[in-house]
Amino acid sequence: MYATADMLLTSPQAHAAEQSQEPAIEVVLVKAVLQGDREGFSRLYDRYAPLVHGILLARVPRAEVDDLVQDIFLHAFKKLHTLRDAAAFGPWIAMIARNRAVDFHRRSKEMVEINDDLRGSEQHDSRAAEILELIRSLPEAYRETLVLRLVEGMTGPEIAARTGLTAASVRVNLHRGMKLLRKQLGFMEDL
Amino acid sequence: MNDDYLWDKTGEPDPQIQQLEEILGTFRYQPRPLVLPQKRNYFPLLAIAASLLLALLAGAIWLRVRPHSEAPKQQANIAEPATPKPIETPKSPEVRSASNQPLLAPKRIHKPRSASSVLPAREREEALMAKEQLMIALRLTTEKLHLVHTRTQPNQIKNQHRVG
Repeated sequence: MYATADMLLTSPQAHAAEQSQEPAIEVVLVKAVLQGDREGFSRLYDRYAPLVHGILLARVPRAEVDDLVQDIFLHAFKKLHTLRDAAAFGPWIAMIARNRAVDFHRRSKEMVEINDDLRGSEQHDSRAAEILELIRSLPEAYRETLVLRLVEGMTGPEIAARTGLTAASVRVNLHRGMKLLRKQLGFMEDL
Repeated sequence: MNDDYLWDKTGEPDPQIQQLEEILGTFRYQPRPLVLPQKRNYFPLLAIAASLLLALLAGAIWLRVRPHSEAPKQQANIAEPATPKPIETPKSPEVRSASNQPLLAPKRIHKPRSASSVLPAREREEALMAKEQLMIALRLTTEKLHLVHTRTQPNQIKNQHRVG
């Protein structure tokens, strides 16, 4: 929701130029995997596992994230032939991860006790868990971008290239999200 | 506020962002090997399917070729009983009248017909095949009936004993 309005702020040329390098590799790797090269999928996994991890971390309990990452990549491996545009592997797997997170919460409503236990185990963690909880309380567009930037260590252009969002939207989401996070943490805005 | 560091980690580092990166870095993705499902080997299944197909083909070809090679023997067997039969038709009055009325003769006269003289070779072979199949079917039916009979017989006896 937040991202869609921000997408209009960028020019398509700049967006294409920034993303021109990334898809070329994905196209080669996806085509190789479709021709039976399993090693190619391992390379895609190495490239995109942090993205999927970050997307999940912004939405589901930490204890579940690692297993879900594996599940998502196995699912992607089986369904790779359904991907129409090989260059869109990043946005495609990001969407799978978001959908899987939604499914997780839908199922966890049926298992309230387990969910509460998991949340409890996170809360007694260090300050990192507290900050992560604060980020999770932010609007969805900000929280995902912030986790990818602050937890996974990806830069803005990398986030844009791998999620399929425009650079401008990512920039705006980072800026606004950080502003909200600073408020939540009690930092002074002008610092 | 300059947010270059937030955007692409260039420019002057923001100490708060650096601190957040350091704290939250503990949750960063730790590489784990992806275990892909083993590729299923379809070769044995394909080999079995292919051998079955070949066997079926071979059987079909053999069934098609076999009657042609055995045809002369059958012809000899059939021809023998047909020829020695005495022809009774000339003695019948119909034939006599037929000699007087030649137009009706082909309809009424029962000429002795042997398989070799009347039917063309191909039709004869087909007829022989049909006869063979019929005989086999009859034999099978007889055997089955016999089997049913033998199976039902003891039951009847048992029942009789029970009744008795």
